[in-house]
Amino acid sequence: MDELMTDNRKVKVTVNGVKYEASAEPRTTLVDFLRAELGLTGTHVGCEHGVCGACTILMDGRSVRSCIMLAVQADGAELTTVEGLSIDGQLHPIQEAFRESHGLQCGFCTPGFLMTIFELLEENPNPGDEEINEALGGNLCRCTGYQSIVEAVKIAAARSAS
Amino acid sequence: MDVNIPKSLDELPTSEVRWVSKPIQRVEDPSLLTGRTEFIDNLTLPGMLHCAILHSPHSHARIVSVDTSKAEQLPGVVAVVTGEDAERWTKPIGTVPKGWGVRSLAVDKARFVGEPVAAVAATSRYIAEDALELIDVEYEPLPPIADPSEAMKDGSPLVFEENETNVMIDRTFTWGEVDEAFDQADHVYTEKFRWNRVGANPIETFGVVSQWDPVEETITCHGGFQAPAYMALGVAVRFRIPPNRVRLVAHPHGGSFGGKGGGRGTDITVMLSRKTGGRPVKYIEDRIEYMIAGGSQAWDRRYEASLAVKSDGTVTGLKVKLLDDLGATGEGYAAISAAKPLAAFTGCYAIPAAGYEMTVVATNKTPGSPYRGMGPPPHNFVLEQMMDIAARGLKIDPAEMRRKNFIPADAFPYTIPSGNEYDSGNYDATMDELLKMSNYEELRRDQEKARAEGRCVGIGVVTSIEPGVFNNNIYNILGNMGGTAVPEGVTISIDIFSKITARVGFALEGQGQYTFVAQILADYFNATPDDVRVVCQDTLSAPPHYGPGGSRMAVALSGAVLGASDMIRQKLIAVGSRLIGLAEGDAEFMDGVVRAKDDHDRKIVLRDVVGAILYRSDLLPPGTEPTVDATYVWTAPDRGMPDDQGRAKSYLTAANACHLVMVEIDLDTGKVDILKYFIADDCGTRLNPAVVDGMTQGGVAQGVGAALLEEYAYDDSGQLLTATFMDYLIPTVHEVPPTEKSALTTPSPLTPLGTKGMGEGAMNTTPAAIMSAINDALSPLGVQAREVPATPNRIWKLVQGARDASKDS
Amino acid sequence: MKPAPFDYHDPATLDEAVSLLGRLDDDVKILAGGQSLIPLLNMRLARPTALVDLGKITELDYIREDGGAIAIGALTTQRTVEHSQLVRERLPVLYEATRLIAHPQIRNRGTIGGSLAHADPAAEYPAVALLLDAEFKIRSASGERTLGAADFFVTYLTTALGPADVLTEVRFPLLANGVGWSFIEMTRRHGDFALAGAGATLTLSGDECSGARIVLFGVDATPVRAKGAEQALVGQRLSEELIASAAQIAREETGEPLSDNHASAEFRRHLAGVMTERALTEAAGRAGWTN
Repeated sequence: MDELMTDNRKVKVTVNGVKYEASAEPRTTLVDFLRAELGLTGTHVGCEHGVCGACTILMDGRSVRSCIMLAVQADGAELTTVEGLSIDGQLHPIQEAFRESHGLQCGFCTPGFLMTIFELLEENPNPGDEEINEALGGNLCRCTGYQSIVEAVKIAAARSAS
Repeated sequence: MDVNIPKSLDELPTSEVRWVSKPIQRVEDPSLLTGRTEFIDNLTLPGMLHCAILHSPHSHARIVSVDTSKAEQLPGVVAVVTGEDAERWTKPIGTVPKGWGVRSLAVDKARFVGEPVAAVAATSRYIAEDALELIDVEYEPLPPIADPSEAMKDGSPLVFEENETNVMIDRTFTWGEVDEAFDQADHVYTEKFRWNRVGANPIETFGVVSQWDPVEETITCHGGFQAPAYMALGVAVRFRIPPNRVRLVAHPHGGSFGGKGGGRGTDITVMLSRKTGGRPVKYIEDRIEYMIAGGSQAWDRRYEASLAVKSDGTVTGLKVKLLDDLGATGEGYAAISAAKPLAAFTGCYAIPAAGYEMTVVATNKTPGSPYRGMGPPPHNFVLEQMMDIAARGLKIDPAEMRRKNFIPADAFPYTIPSGNEYDSGNYDATMDELLKMSNYEELRRDQEKARAEGRCVGIGVVTSIEPGVFNNNIYNILGNMGGTAVPEGVTISIDIFSKITARVGFALEGQGQYTFVAQILADYFNATPDDVRVVCQDTLSAPPHYGPGGSRMAVALSGAVLGASDMIRQKLIAVGSRLIGLAEGDAEFMDGVVRAKDDHDRKIVLRDVVGAILYRSDLLPPGTEPTVDATYVWTAPDRGMPDDQGRAKSYLTAANACHLVMVEIDLDTGKVDILKYFIADDCGTRLNPAVVDGMTQGGVAQGVGAALLEEYAYDDSGQLLTATFMDYLIPTVHEVPPTEKSALTTPSPLTPLGTKGMGEGAMNTTPAAIMSAINDALSPLGVQAREVPATPNRIWKLVQGARDASKDS
Repeated sequence: MKPAPFDYHDPATLDEAVSLLGRLDDDVKILAGGQSLIPLLNMRLARPTALVDLGKITELDYIREDGGAIAIGALTTQRTVEHSQLVRERLPVLYEATRLIAHPQIRNRGTIGGSLAHADPAAEYPAVALLLDAEFKIRSASGERTLGAADFFVTYLTTALGPADVLTEVRFPLLANGVGWSFIEMTRRHGDFALAGAGATLTLSGDECSGARIVLFGVDATPVRAKGAEQALVGQRLSEELIASAAQIAREETGEPLSDNHASAEFRRHLAGVMTERALTEAAGRAGWTN
């Protein structure tokens, strides 16, 4: 087999406000980089083909599927992952809302939902039903049947309004 | 020691129940919400390698040779294993029925697309996958057998030549005077149904980190295991080492629904570890691997059913014939799914006679696995369709049809013809509630108005029984299950600060068990859930257990917790009474104190009794051990072996539900829209109503998927056509309707606190409800949907058929 | 599911990218948003020996009105198109098509150029490009050229782009005032690829149809102009029956619909007719037609 030049690249990212510099093969996916290289294991892998949304993080404020991004594509970007939501063990209001509405069961898809909802509420602090569904349509949950997740969004929205 | 387990909430030693039965927030949540829970892929061990598996591209092929030499040379590759290693190090997996199991890596031939053929351990998964491409396997393709009817015929290619047949099970059961019922019926309705393969697909796939210790000859595996103790025993048997040399550490996992799988991945990583001289090896199943070779597929079924009915709508007999395509091996124990319907064969109805012809066949497809419900969901769909067919034939309202046939509320405990005993129920009350909450008559009027406008609207009203508390006993009709009832054990201990620790043997997979354990202990010992910690122990440390499965934990786990609590309570009374100068018989434990029964002010608080037990041996009754802990292993009583017709008391509880669904069908596109969804559910005492509602809604979502979207499709040669989430369609928030739920409580007289298992609940009912509504919508067109899922293409074909037929007439 | 190894290049400018592509000897794939490509890399269905990542090139991220058309840089994300006031007001059919694409996370990364270059016949952008007769600007080391939509899409997942070409801009001609439009699709789930879809624009003079364009997607190896259906409409007085008969004609113009486990070819053909009928009705309504 021919030798392929797949030199590792230096990837500089800021994640949850912390600067990192690490090395990655170009083919390393962003989610694998976050989990294995940076030790941020709160973001989960569910399908590796961009459908389930478990790997959703924010890149420069926008929700993205980190399983279908390469780590090198995030060079220079500011990322937010679920680890960045709570501070000193204090749950973020969206996380509190999930707890109240029983919006999670196994919890594996939850970090992806949290990041999606974080983006939604930043953009649209008082979303209607259709807007909520439109935002959540790209995250799969196998446990809850979604009803309590939608309720969590509404609780979080109402709370930040008051 | 006689152990007394409270049968209702008011038997708890508290004057005010503050925690159990309340929808308190889950104790598991903060860790899950912050991403801190240690799912298996978080685990890294020193020297750990990563496994990739080479899968067979053929559905049926002889393996002529496997050349791994080039793969072994790739930098980063540390070990490669093949069927040769599997053959010398392991035994084939035991199956029920016996003789349909193979080793984790194919040895002589591959029997399904995706079957593992070789595996690599390398310094990264990326390199391991590169190495797979360097493995040369020479296959000699064999004729595949993909059609279960063909598989039954003489001359069909055989999946297991040594078994001389592809028929795994062929049994007929006759319960009561079935022939007579059908001979004497006023009407007999017969219909065929097709239920296509669906499966669990939790968002987290299976994962494991295994380590073989060459010095101690022990195996340690960390993983997302369901039923850890049983998995551990299986590993020990397959690797031919004593069970106390195997230790499985169960990690919280991202859902399971029965279909987590993992047997092969576990064995393969153990072998790789052995080959590397004892380095830990991690395998994380990717999604495609899960779908083609994991615990992903279930219920590939063809049914023919008949109902014997009197003119007034009374059902006198039910016959069901099942052809179940189990796939290539019995490793997933999916044959049990064909037998579980015995636990609720006739549903909520007092049908006196029934017959079941059950044929389970092997084909060159992915081996079937458990999935939520474990068999009743398709069976209940068939039963409810037959009730609808009879109702339509006799022009009886479908809700009325159910009522006419309900087991009456005063008939419990009720033994159904197939042998199981239903503990309690009030089906009329459930139906009353459903019709009231849904405003049924108004919905029917709305339907009429819609139909007048040319809209295709339908309403389905169905019922179901959810058998709760899985036991092994009836499955002995399929083969040796090694026993009858299934244990669940807990060790409870209380420390000097009155904090309570519960040690269990299973890890969380979403059903909130640690929360209800905390609720029960909080009420029992006058504490708060924050005072309780639930800790999962590995299989060498934990008391006997099974863990979640078969809707058992609400009953089995609370039984174990209450049993251990009672043992502690008795000790607290024995010591506490002595400390305050009472005869033991004159003392009681209530609201966290030991006190005189006739003078509540004469008391001693829990903390002081605990302190004395732990540190004041001089004050204790002679022979008292200085520890405040107890282990209790609960198991269902009276689970005897089945008779030759499979009859036995199997599942201890029978929860029931009634669902009403209103759908609209776009006749031009075949798309089904769910307009309204109502649920009335009775699962006895609810330990945590929020958790129960959540599980119900989750079951609805999987039911919607099964009814409308999800299907594993194969071509004629056994190639899987739906191996990614692009093709296997899991419902999103857009496809799952919010449902209105109402709870009834008919406690079980047989269980701790009167609870009943309900975890599989809505999965038994939702597919039946949606299909019922679809057929109600289609009935004016003279066509009916008998195949699940009711995809737009299938609905459209039916509608076309109707339109063509009406053109011809 | 991890990609096979590849050589990685991330040019900072368009000039660099074009020059690089002209020089590379490998089996090259261009990476834009990666929403279509990276799943293929993960599954090893695509195994380029070199990846040229255009992600650092900012000069191709723009939306502007330009002489009767909206010109969009190829690396503009679908999200940017979705949130563009200009697009929403001046070319709402493009907005509508964008809204149907998958889910917000995909639109946050996916680019308009990437979607068009990928040329999935069930995707929305190729269809709306054909509907609006968009113009494609292409650069390579040997210069620049422009192609019309009809020439751009060649067959299944194949465009007229050569291995050293970069799609730089797509120009969507604006619709004249009063022209009705519609863009709809039939999917199994919200956000899925279409089993079949239709886009339509209708120009009416009073009740008479003076212009019609109909594009079907999801039914053949590329999006399809239903020219026969269009011709059946032009010069005719609009009616429910006329729309229905145009839809019937459209059904026969679907080419070779794919048959898979989601939908048979026959069903796709039928859906093409249904979508055409509904799209025409909606477009007519937007053009001011009252039945």
